[in-house]
Amino acid sequence: MNKLWHVAWHEYQRHVFTRRFVLVGLLSVPLVILVLVGLIFLILSLDIDTTPLGYVDSSGLLTNPISAPAPEWPDKPVSILAFANEADARAALESGSIQAYYVLPADYLSTGQLRVVHLDPLKSSPRVQFYDFLTANLLKSTDPAIANRLVKGAEIIVQSPDGTRSISSKNWFNVLIPIVAGIAFIIAMFSTGGYLMQAVVEEKENRTMEVIITSVSPNQLITGKIIGDTAVGLTQIVLWLVFIVIPILVFRNRFTFLQGIQIGPQTLFLLVFVMFPAFILVSALMAAIGATVSEAREGQQMVGMISLPIWIPYMLTSSLMGNPNSPLAVGLSLFPLTAPLTMLMRDGLTILPAWQIALSSAILLLSAVVAIWLAGRAFRLGMLRYGKRLKLSEIFARQKA
Amino acid sequence: MSAVDLFQITKSFGPIKAVDDVSFSVEKGELIGLLGPNGAGKTTSLRVMLDIFKPESGSVTILGGPMNESKKDHIGYMPEERGLYQDIPLDRCLAYLGSLKGLGPAEVKQRSASYLERFDLTAFKSKKVKELSKGMQQKAQVIATLLHQPELLIVDEPFGGLDPVNTQMVKDLLLEQHQKGVTIILCSHQMHQVEELCDRIVLIDHGRVMLYGALQEIRRQFSGHSVTVRTSDSIPTLPGVERIEPLNGTIKLHLLPGTAPQEILRSLVARNINLDQFEISMPTLDEIFIRVVQGQGVVA
Repeated sequence: MNKLWHVAWHEYQRHVFTRRFVLVGLLSVPLVILVLVGLIFLILSLDIDTTPLGYVDSSGLLTNPISAPAPEWPDKPVSILAFANEADARAALESGSIQAYYVLPADYLSTGQLRVVHLDPLKSSPRVQFYDFLTANLLKSTDPAIANRLVKGAEIIVQSPDGTRSISSKNWFNVLIPIVAGIAFIIAMFSTGGYLMQAVVEEKENRTMEVIITSVSPNQLITGKIIGDTAVGLTQIVLWLVFIVIPILVFRNRFTFLQGIQIGPQTLFLLVFVMFPAFILVSALMAAIGATVSEAREGQQMVGMISLPIWIPYMLTSSLMGNPNSPLAVGLSLFPLTAPLTMLMRDGLTILPAWQIALSSAILLLSAVVAIWLAGRAFRLGMLRYGKRLKLSEIFARQKA
Repeated sequence: MSAVDLFQITKSFGPIKAVDDVSFSVEKGELIGLLGPNGAGKTTSLRVMLDIFKPESGSVTILGGPMNESKKDHIGYMPEERGLYQDIPLDRCLAYLGSLKGLGPAEVKQRSASYLERFDLTAFKSKKVKELSKGMQQKAQVIATLLHQPELLIVDEPFGGLDPVNTQMVKDLLLEQHQKGVTIILCSHQMHQVEELCDRIVLIDHGRVMLYGALQEIRRQFSGHSVTVRTSDSIPTLPGVERIEPLNGTIKLHLLPGTAPQEILRSLVARNINLDQFEISMPTLDEIFIRVVQGQGVVA
């Protein structure tokens, strides 16, 4: 086996086959996702109140009412009861048999005004269900299919001119998937980069470096480390995917919204051709930091210079989501360190022009190559520098490494 | 035939010339001592030899040609600052270091088992390196250096941190390797060890070779700076004598530079001192080292 692969395997096994990797590296993200999903369901369930609603209709619009289409999961249907007068409705409200009642005045059609009376704050789910009920009955005389469509709303599918790519506005989950994937990728990227930096600094700190470089070339050593630690990150991602995909497949038939989840070819392309080079880029930059500093703590301070630009798109979420094709979004997609998250955020919201994907990917690939070169050079110059930091000017100086 | 040839090597770090026009050869199969005070340029010379540093000028020939990746598998290097992976078990650490020297898993296992046994470390092979004592780590480092049975062994202060028993064990191991025909460059401050093990030495100071050659020849060159006399009479103050030192029933007279031993003999005879023994002392390596470093030696 080539020595490079021995280095890569050594790096891989010393991180993967540890309790820390299983507890922190592997289970942390699925646990965070589980907690987040749990929180979302908790918030949604707090918004649901199945106590019936009442109404007093003076307009005659709700005579012989029809039911509105049933709400989608996780919402639960609320019974809507008619009262002959407001006194009866009030009594029912005070007795707790209804949570609120609506009063439609005789001139509702002309004014559009109606009153709602409740003792406790009215939650959004029953409120929406009453409006759907009202809309369905206003459209009672219309073709049921049209009425149903108006109540359910439209699903706008944005499609590329060649018809190969499309995004549905209804599958909100599909908007989140690329963003979540991007964040997971970046977390894995930083933990990988952290391992790499730690490995380089450690070998300097414990003086193993001098022994190792009399066995392998500095280039083999740094490349082996980058390969090994990138494989650690990819293992992390694959196992996270397993943790996420298996529950989706198991609960797919139970929860209809899970059936709409799909990862399109554009997302897959971005994961391979944008995130992967970004992974290598960050790993190589972290290795370069490890080679220039003399102790791990010093390296952690320098990591901020890389992590800040990577998270910038996250800070600009509202702007990017509001206009995913703005010049800002395009600019961030082409800058190597902001490209990974920006591209994945935009992926869920718009159809990315092919030239932007290709250019962003090419810039990232080129940057990754330059970063590996930089890491190799910093490594050769800084590998035996104990207790003294390597200056940036020294890395670029025209002298023998 | 030379195993290593350094020819007019110069290497600077900024304004400091760490190695200045250094040339010496190491014959195949010999055990040579590389000496010098701290900061003299010994480690830099070794690093240039091992292609860790590129010299500004000069050339290095190692095992018959310039250094390349395949030659690294035939060289064992133990740097002064020991380095082993602290967080992994000893046997895994040795397996990794062995694999980087081109050994297969079975070879590594078999050879490590044999060395671990020899160094009384078998019981500790599954322990993390950081859990071993300093002496044990030192022995583990020696094993890692020898595991791939190198043709050329470069050991920098191999006895540092070892107790007398383990010092003897490492010394025996070096001699055993020497007998097997392994070329050994021994870098050490412990002059008596070098004196005991090496036939030739290179002494570097301020980046320059100050002494280079056969140890006995060098000692002969430096003899004449002291004489040993045995007498029952007391020795008076003599011209040309710097210091009188009683030594194991004899008296050592340290001479001032430029004083010939024969002048001292004449002075003693002139003063009717009964001499049982008069001998020109051969200096120890320690004395030679001190004299060269203090600028009283003969530049090679």
